[in-house]
Amino acid sequence: MTLTIDELRVRYPGRREPALSGISLEVEPGKIAAVVGRTGAGKSTLCLAACGFVPRVVRAAVSGRVDLAGMEVTTAPLAQLAGRVGIVFSSPALQLSSSKPTVREELAFGLENLGVAREEMDGRIERALDRLGISHLAEREPLALSGGEQQRVAIASILVMGTGVLVLDEPTAQLDPQGTSDVAAVLRELAADGRSVLVAEHAPEVLAEAANCLVLDAGRQVALDRPAFALRSTILRPIGLEPPTLVTLAEAADIPANGTFDEKEIARGLGVLRGRRPVEEESPAEKTKELAFLREAAPLGIEIRDLRHSYAGAVEALRGVSLRIEPGEVVAIVGQNGSGKTTLAKHLNGLLRPDSGMVAVGGNDISGRLVSDIARDVGFVFQNPDDQLFNSRVELEVGFGPRNLRLEPKLIERLVEGALGMVGLTGEGSTNPYDLGFSLRKLVALASVVAMEPPVLVLDEPTTGQDGPGTRRVGGIVDAWGTTGRTVIAISHDMEFVARHFRRVIVMRAGEMVLDAPPECVFAYENSALLASTGLVAPPAARIAARLGLTTMPADASSLLSLLAASRAAGGSSPEADRH
Amino acid sequence: MTVRAVGYFRPGDSWLHHRHPVTKVLALGWLLLAAFLMPPLWLPALVGLLAIVSWTSGLLGQLVGSLRIPALLFASILIVNAFFFPGAREILIPLGPVGLSLEGVVFGLISAGRILVVFMASIVFLYTTLADDLLEALIAKGASHRLAFVILSAVQLVPRLQVRAGAILDAQQARGLRVTGSLMTRARAVIPLVGPIVLGSLIDVRERTFALEARAFGARHERTAYRVVADPPRDRWLRIGLLLATAALLALALGGFLP
Repeated sequence: MTLTIDELRVRYPGRREPALSGISLEVEPGKIAAVVGRTGAGKSTLCLAACGFVPRVVRAAVSGRVDLAGMEVTTAPLAQLAGRVGIVFSSPALQLSSSKPTVREELAFGLENLGVAREEMDGRIERALDRLGISHLAEREPLALSGGEQQRVAIASILVMGTGVLVLDEPTAQLDPQGTSDVAAVLRELAADGRSVLVAEHAPEVLAEAANCLVLDAGRQVALDRPAFALRSTILRPIGLEPPTLVTLAEAADIPANGTFDEKEIARGLGVLRGRRPVEEESPAEKTKELAFLREAAPLGIEIRDLRHSYAGAVEALRGVSLRIEPGEVVAIVGQNGSGKTTLAKHLNGLLRPDSGMVAVGGNDISGRLVSDIARDVGFVFQNPDDQLFNSRVELEVGFGPRNLRLEPKLIERLVEGALGMVGLTGEGSTNPYDLGFSLRKLVALASVVAMEPPVLVLDEPTTGQDGPGTRRVGGIVDAWGTTGRTVIAISHDMEFVARHFRRVIVMRAGEMVLDAPPECVFAYENSALLASTGLVAPPAARIAARLGLTTMPADASSLLSLLAASRAAGGSSPEADRH
Repeated sequence: MTVRAVGYFRPGDSWLHHRHPVTKVLALGWLLLAAFLMPPLWLPALVGLLAIVSWTSGLLGQLVGSLRIPALLFASILIVNAFFFPGAREILIPLGPVGLSLEGVVFGLISAGRILVVFMASIVFLYTTLADDLLEALIAKGASHRLAFVILSAVQLVPRLQVRAGAILDAQQARGLRVTGSLMTRARAVIPLVGPIVLGSLIDVRERTFALEARAFGARHERTAYRVVADPPRDRWLRIGLLLATAALLALALGGFLP
């Protein structure tokens, strides 16, 4: 089925600016169309309109056409759309029925609603589970799974319905790198089956699969082209986005933009750059965030000894973790979805208590202390901001922690102002947090913890839902926090973010620590098999560096290019380029 | 705290677990009506009946344990009525302007008894009925999708609100709010919870709508079922009996035969 979007305009009630102004796009059977843009550019609106959610479920004034095999989607009732077009949202909370006792029955729900014969159901469910690599979760309770596991279930729950058109709104935001590659592979297979796929994404693995890439800025089309053309720096930089690392490297290597994300080819092209000065980097310098509003604090370390934890009726989430984090260290925890990262982090401020083992902050066991008391020492930023925000105004939200610490009103005011300035939300003090988009709500949640000036800052997936500039902002905060002598512990699936901003990386697999080393070592070629066993891959620049036989691990495109410039010209193509 | 799809459901194999969800809905409806329509002297019998039902289903201990939740409510109803019953004549113990009155004690006991029956019946129902089975059963019996969804939401409302409240409590404690300690501290902790829970339940409705629409719920009248909810033959007779009993109760009440 061909999905044709023609001159689509969408304006939400009460908004002056349209969310989309005159977008046209055709998604043919067997093709993947990708949508790229900054937060708020209209990607989600386009997804919602493509499957009829706008205006049927989310009210908006719509003009233009969305045509699906001769049917007008914007006015069609659910009965006609069901079974033809399916949508996957970025958050599993929007997807799961939340009334089903097992994953298997969750998948069956969509089939029941379509009136699929009972005999057919099990086969279709098995295939969908298998495609997402979650057959082992079939009998688990969906809402007891980790965030990333739930997102896989959510994708499977739409996949199983077998619609001719599939729309996905940032489906990989919560997934580990392996999960992201899996989704890219699933989309490739679906297209090969003759489905039409429309996907809003940041992940280069998924973008690389697209036949067409639509770049949006403030509801308008900036570019519509093959990914290698649409994602060029000349197109993305003016709208405040950084091209994917591989595209930046391909540009540096001067590889003709013929649609390649091929690492081998990029490595070959870069090989000749050895010893040459790179073209002056345009990438915006990372601004160190002003943290002068924070008062001095004695740095605190953390010690964990043989920590074990099981959830009632579920598998053991932590199976004996021992760990020592020195005061002022900046540490990342990585690992696949469901490997126990969040469980570990929630022990650091007492939200979860060990079944056995011990957690000490600043040398003192925290088992006897209340969560509210540990909060002075350890600030915890939740993965989902909606689990954290509960005030009607941003300034109340950010001031909530400092008020609990019974600080002076003057000081509270300064902290709130400083924290909001740090996340770039100055002037939003009287806004309701729920009037802000997801990525800004996440920054409010971060500010609300920073305002308490905790000596230890724990961040659970701080970059999910952030676009390039948002991720850089969070990275800047991590850097600045470290320079004040405070400790940062962050969970992340974004390996480039980890490589750039952290000096120690802890890799978890199935409730155990399997590696604890600096990023250069964790992402070194020698560890790629171990990383793969926990669903991770080194960031793209490191992978290319390994192909080039470089011994130092670069975090991103610009450091790879300076490394190349510094390394002695090897002359010709490097034999290591064929190593993989 | 994790969200539980099963809410208050306690998996089990008792005779009550095996009753069809619609049978249990009818029984719950009859009990709620009976608590308010039957003469108050029957209240002890209804409480006794519910105790026997939960005992034979192996849930008496958990039911008694759950009574600590409304215990404060019962106590306040008894005390307020006993001492402040308007226009009371039979003062047992005078205490200045107020006094312990016979009418007040009787009225307080009746009110508390009715709420006790409502609470026990609802808890026994929720303990033994999986919300999802109820949804499937209602649709199979011809209820409209919207009605089924409204009933499902009602059944899941309290457990979902509890989960939401738990998440907010976690977030508040993580930012230094004391929620344990003196009665005053606890009371102060409750107030900031109210707004966010109301807001949260609105978000919840939006999430539910998205999820159900995306999964084509209500797209077709002829739905198929993955899991068949057991409907033993004697449930049919039970349902007819319960419908007759409900009709009789309403007829007696409307005819003025009940006080």
